[in-house]
Amino acid sequence: MKFYAAIFTLTLFVSASLGFARNVDLSTVPARDSVQLTIYNSEDLTLVRETRKITFKKGQNPLQFSWANTLIDPTSVQMKFLTNADKLEVLDTTFPHDKPQMLYWNVQSDIDGEATIEITYFTSGISWSADYQLTANKDESKIGLDGFVRITNNSGEEYENAQVRLVVGTINLVEKIAQLAQIPMNQVPQLQDEERAALRYRSLSKAIETDAPMGAASSPEAPAPKQVIKEGLSEYFIYTIEGTETIPNGWSKRLRSLEAHDVPFKIQYRYRPEEYGDQLVRMYLLTNDKDSSLGTTPLPDGTVRVFRDNGHDGLSYLTAQSIKYIPIGDKIELNLGPDPEVIFDLIKLRVSRDNIWMQINGLDVFKKVDDGVGKIEVESTVSGWDAHEIYTQRVRNYSAKPIDIEVRRSFDGHVDFRSSLNPILHDYRTVQFTATVDTGKKSDLLFELVIHNGRNAKQNNVTLQTAEVKP
Amino acid sequence: MRINRMATCGIIAGLLACTQAAQARIKLITLPVRERVEIQLDNPNATLVEEERIVPLVKGENQVDFSWANTQIDAESIVFRVIAPVGEKNLDVKVLSVSYPPNEASLVWSVGSSDSGSARVRISYILGNLGKSFAYRAVASNDETTLTLSQYLRLQNFANEEFGSTGLWAGFGKEFMRPIGLNETKEMLMAKFAQVPVRKTYTCDPQEFGYIDQPQNKLRVPMHYVLKNDKTDNLGAAALPFGKVRIFIEGNGPEKATTFLGEDWGKFTPIDDEMKLYLGVAQDIVVKRTIERNNNTRVAGNLSDQEVIVKYEIENFKDKPVTLDVSENVRAIRNEVRGDTNRDVQWELGKETTFEGGPDKEKSTFEKLLFHVDLPARGKDGKAEKITQKLHLIIKNEW
Repeated sequence: MKFYAAIFTLTLFVSASLGFARNVDLSTVPARDSVQLTIYNSEDLTLVRETRKITFKKGQNPLQFSWANTLIDPTSVQMKFLTNADKLEVLDTTFPHDKPQMLYWNVQSDIDGEATIEITYFTSGISWSADYQLTANKDESKIGLDGFVRITNNSGEEYENAQVRLVVGTINLVEKIAQLAQIPMNQVPQLQDEERAALRYRSLSKAIETDAPMGAASSPEAPAPKQVIKEGLSEYFIYTIEGTETIPNGWSKRLRSLEAHDVPFKIQYRYRPEEYGDQLVRMYLLTNDKDSSLGTTPLPDGTVRVFRDNGHDGLSYLTAQSIKYIPIGDKIELNLGPDPEVIFDLIKLRVSRDNIWMQINGLDVFKKVDDGVGKIEVESTVSGWDAHEIYTQRVRNYSAKPIDIEVRRSFDGHVDFRSSLNPILHDYRTVQFTATVDTGKKSDLLFELVIHNGRNAKQNNVTLQTAEVKP
Repeated sequence: MRINRMATCGIIAGLLACTQAAQARIKLITLPVRERVEIQLDNPNATLVEEERIVPLVKGENQVDFSWANTQIDAESIVFRVIAPVGEKNLDVKVLSVSYPPNEASLVWSVGSSDSGSARVRISYILGNLGKSFAYRAVASNDETTLTLSQYLRLQNFANEEFGSTGLWAGFGKEFMRPIGLNETKEMLMAKFAQVPVRKTYTCDPQEFGYIDQPQNKLRVPMHYVLKNDKTDNLGAAALPFGKVRIFIEGNGPEKATTFLGEDWGKFTPIDDEMKLYLGVAQDIVVKRTIERNNNTRVAGNLSDQEVIVKYEIENFKDKPVTLDVSENVRAIRNEVRGDTNRDVQWELGKETTFEGGPDKEKSTFEKLLFHVDLPARGKDGKAEKITQKLHLIIKNEW
């Protein structure tokens, strides 16, 4: 048995006045002619725009609009006349106190005839998300990228043959639509936050429980995938799905939004502990631009799944990663995790201390230990020193290709970084250097830290110094 | 009404056009069987199953229903690829959309076909509870100079799904074609490495292995087999993954019956690195460790140098000569004699160090020193020669 939780009607009362009969009523129910869904992914928000044809009689025409068991924000419901607009007027809108999820429009008509009305409102419970599938070729020189959008309908209502538009971008809302949907308008401000959340949860649970048969709107003569048309609008991007879609309540549907072949990309090994943890990771780096056969649209937030042709007539699963919105022209950076064929060790080779300063106890007098100027008093305390630490960053490459590595290391305090690695400062405390390691080779990247401690510390930053460091 | 089936993981291709098929109360379906299955075990954290099926399609839009009751397929990971049409017809087949019904482990692909015919499709997905591990069996020669190392891939199928003849690949080495039954564990020989040189080591290290008798200052001396994962040692084809190693030794007799020596976890061993396998404690090698000297020399105020001599009295009660590895952590020595200052140790070796050749340059680090000591076999009278070695450390600039 089919059961729809939502009862969602527009009713025209066959009655001359607004003095509705309590128990005996006669009404007509005009059907939807068209419906358009504009779904925002940054918020639980969908703008529904529907049109219906209604025949008015001269004089006052009461219209009832109700949305039981759906997640519509009653404060957002609006109606306008698309035809005969100059002859029709909404005199007032009433939200009855005893009938939640319902309103009445009192329409004054100067004509006896048909008009098309457009009703718009916000609903929650319809969402969309993006996801991506990347497949690198066997020698990892090119990658194929498929982008998808997945629309999920838990709104409690089935919008048949709806035109679907997806908004990429972040909008601002001051109150959640799902909260506003559950109670009459005049009670919204009186609700506590917890009550609002509980109502939202209950409503969503009801919507999810609802079962429905599968429906598909496409005709059997249309074997081509639907196009997703992309266009910029203000700070947002709008994806419009070709034709119409029917997504029953509780179902979700995934459509291809983007397809790119032979996308060039780079492989880089990175050590950035703050971003990727204490490990050297392998990265796929590509750019969302035209040179990369991309760049037609920003890439909305979503999960990227990365595969590779494993050369054994199959795929290797490499990783799944969430990406944030990537504007046109920006980089796509995918972390594949550590590579067992590349061994990365930081080895401390030597430690020494010099430039040691003593403070005479109880006095503001300082003496350097090794300056040879007389004996230093017994009653003195170490108050400053430089620690020298020599390291090798050892990289062994057992993979089949030379590798490019980039290392970022951060140091606290007043530090001199000595090396011949041509490093740069990523920020005031983070040193970055790069190297290439041939296949089957070991590379020792040597550097020395001079850490100024105690009264020797005059700064809180790293200074780069060029010097040959010996192991 | 949707159709429920006993199969835990199946595919149904609708023979009617999609819309009608979905709504029909009476419908005809085909059940395409798996033509080929590959299980990719190369990812350390996930198992990818790839299966190929031949799906009959009609011209226009088709519904292909995939369900996976009682299995842990990651629904988000499912990839549907059309590999090629089957037969002479040149079909243009494309996935139009995917629909996900509520509260069901299933999905429905809407597939467009330019003509009626069949297409070979490949469905890939990550399947939970289908895992792999590695295990090793090492058989040492009777003289303990070489061993034969067998590496096994062990597949454990608790995925609640069985697979017929299935291709298996761990990302390196041999590929297998095996059936995998429900709740089955299958062990397959990946590689057998013969004549792998093995080094038998005896090591004392107060920080790592501690004392066997602390009141008497006797250090614990574990025995290890050490293999080097490189080509010279008949290994080095790939990194050796983590796994349990069971170690046996060949007997003396003509049948060379093996005896179980022990087992250890073999750590992940990249090429050129060593795998060290702990076999047990060597009680015939006695090492007494004492701090013989602990002198503090003031440099200025509270700044001083510390002179430390660690003495080792070593006896080998074995019938044959052995080499003992003596390992010390200089930071631990500083902490032992001065307390922990949280600073690295600036040190140099003193002249009274007796270890011949000094620390092993390749294996010592700035903080950990390794020395080798050759020990003669015990005498014919059963007595062991007592050998004394000293580590003389000058610890500088401490406070």
